[in-house]
Amino acid sequence: MSEHVNDLPEATEHRLEELEHGLFTSDLSVNEFLLVKEAGFHPVGLVMGSSIYHTGIQTRKWSQSQELTKLTEAMYNARELAMTRMEEEAAELGADGVVGVRLDVNYYEWGKDAAEFIAVGTAVKAEDGVSRRNKLGKPFTSDLSGQDFWTLSQTGYAPQGLVMGTCVYHIAHRGLGQTLSSTGQNVELPNFTQALYEARELAMTRMQDESTRLGASGVVGVRLEEKSHQWGSHTIEFLALGTAVTKTTETVTLAKPMTIISLDN
Amino acid sequence: MTGANEPTNIDVAALVREALSAHTGNTTSASTTSDLSIDEELNLHAIGWEPVELVSGYSVFSTPLGLWSWGQGEIVAAGEAHASAFRNATSRLCSEASAAGAHGVVGVHIERSIYSTHTEVSMIGTAVRPIGAGRVEPIRVFASDLSARDFSRLIIAGWEPLGLAVGASFVYAPRRSMGAVFQQQTQNVELTNYTEAIYSARELAMDRMQRSAINLHGTGVVEVKIVEGPMTFASHAVGFAAWGTVVRLAGATHRLQHPTMVVSLDDAEVLFDAANLE
Repeated sequence: MSEHVNDLPEATEHRLEELEHGLFTSDLSVNEFLLVKEAGFHPVGLVMGSSIYHTGIQTRKWSQSQELTKLTEAMYNARELAMTRMEEEAAELGADGVVGVRLDVNYYEWGKDAAEFIAVGTAVKAEDGVSRRNKLGKPFTSDLSGQDFWTLSQTGYAPQGLVMGTCVYHIAHRGLGQTLSSTGQNVELPNFTQALYEARELAMTRMQDESTRLGASGVVGVRLEEKSHQWGSHTIEFLALGTAVTKTTETVTLAKPMTIISLDN
Repeated sequence: MTGANEPTNIDVAALVREALSAHTGNTTSASTTSDLSIDEELNLHAIGWEPVELVSGYSVFSTPLGLWSWGQGEIVAAGEAHASAFRNATSRLCSEASAAGAHGVVGVHIERSIYSTHTEVSMIGTAVRPIGAGRVEPIRVFASDLSARDFSRLIIAGWEPLGLAVGASFVYAPRRSMGAVFQQQTQNVELTNYTEAIYSARELAMDRMQRSAINLHGTGVVEVKIVEGPMTFASHAVGFAAWGTVVRLAGATHRLQHPTMVVSLDDAEVLFDAANLE
């Protein structure tokens, strides 16, 4: 059925086969569905990938700010597994891309440090039959909503891939001496500021590296999420997520937006 | 619940019967009940439809004791109970709508609760029909969880809803051996047994949803909702449920909508909301 070597379960292939016979499923809202059609695409199927992943343990020094590489790797690998599986499903469907991708992490009672990483999106295919796959020949992925996807297409840009960078960072606790000396004063806490800066920079840089690999000219809709997950207050994951885009057409006539005042609240 | 202000001796059932009988078979009735907002009602009228009645469907299906605790593979009875509860609730919803003279139910609010002993599905929505249209058989009444606004947009674009497609599956996730738990304690590893359990639950559920869409002669399912994860009362059983509205092209082609770009000059109420970052 496909030349791709992949690790999708058999049942998945059966389901995808059904989808190839004309039925589509999608978690797009009606508005998004209409706008995706408007942009010249047709939804082909709801695609998903997930991985239940156990994150290892890494010792942290109480008074030292440092990246926890093992945890960073776990967070990155698990998401990458989920994303790749989702892409494989889309490729299997012959899709050009996946829009509205959501990446979630769920913690269950299955044991400490185990989490489910899940990627869900709607695979779409261009209605004019021209392939819109990215530079690597894979379906593009994008966390843009149907609305954003249409707007982006109006500007002559096309999404290339969902790019992400992550960094799990342990921020040093302040010593008793430091705490005492700053009590009652207005002072910046340089060690905290610096640690947060560094972690954020690492995550952003990694995201940019991914987009460079896709040959993208920019990343839009970047979100920066900070989460402590289950590691306590001084260990934070910085996750940078965005959609890498490239310009596809030079000549674009953008409609001048009409200004409105809405009479409802 | 103090009892002081509580009205006494009111036969609620009789009141409901009386209220419903006012609508039964009476397709020219002017009085309607609906939970639509004014603009949704306006949207409906704009496409030549009208609300008729607020209708509901409800079903509880029991599951055998001890079903969830131990085993291998799919928990077949749980999946069947979910399907039956859904089917019964939908058919009751549609019968009620048909009795009120409607052709479909929009904005169906679905509530599903799964307990170790039973599965419960309740639906409530607004029955609608093309203005002045006559009664149709319950089997031909569609139910849709799309809002009235989305429904009218779909009609304008040349599509029609056909009903709800649903699929659910529950699967036992094999426990890890003590040795494995100990060995994996410090490592970054994928827990393949859980991943596989989630995958098989998902595939069965999605396949069932797709099959029910095909049975309704649909060409697509929009606004698919997904609920997944371990059951709260049995951590080693994972469930996956998906449902959405089945649609198909009513006419020959999809009608493009050509949106206009607007910039609202209202001041944005919330530009940045730190709470949304989680």
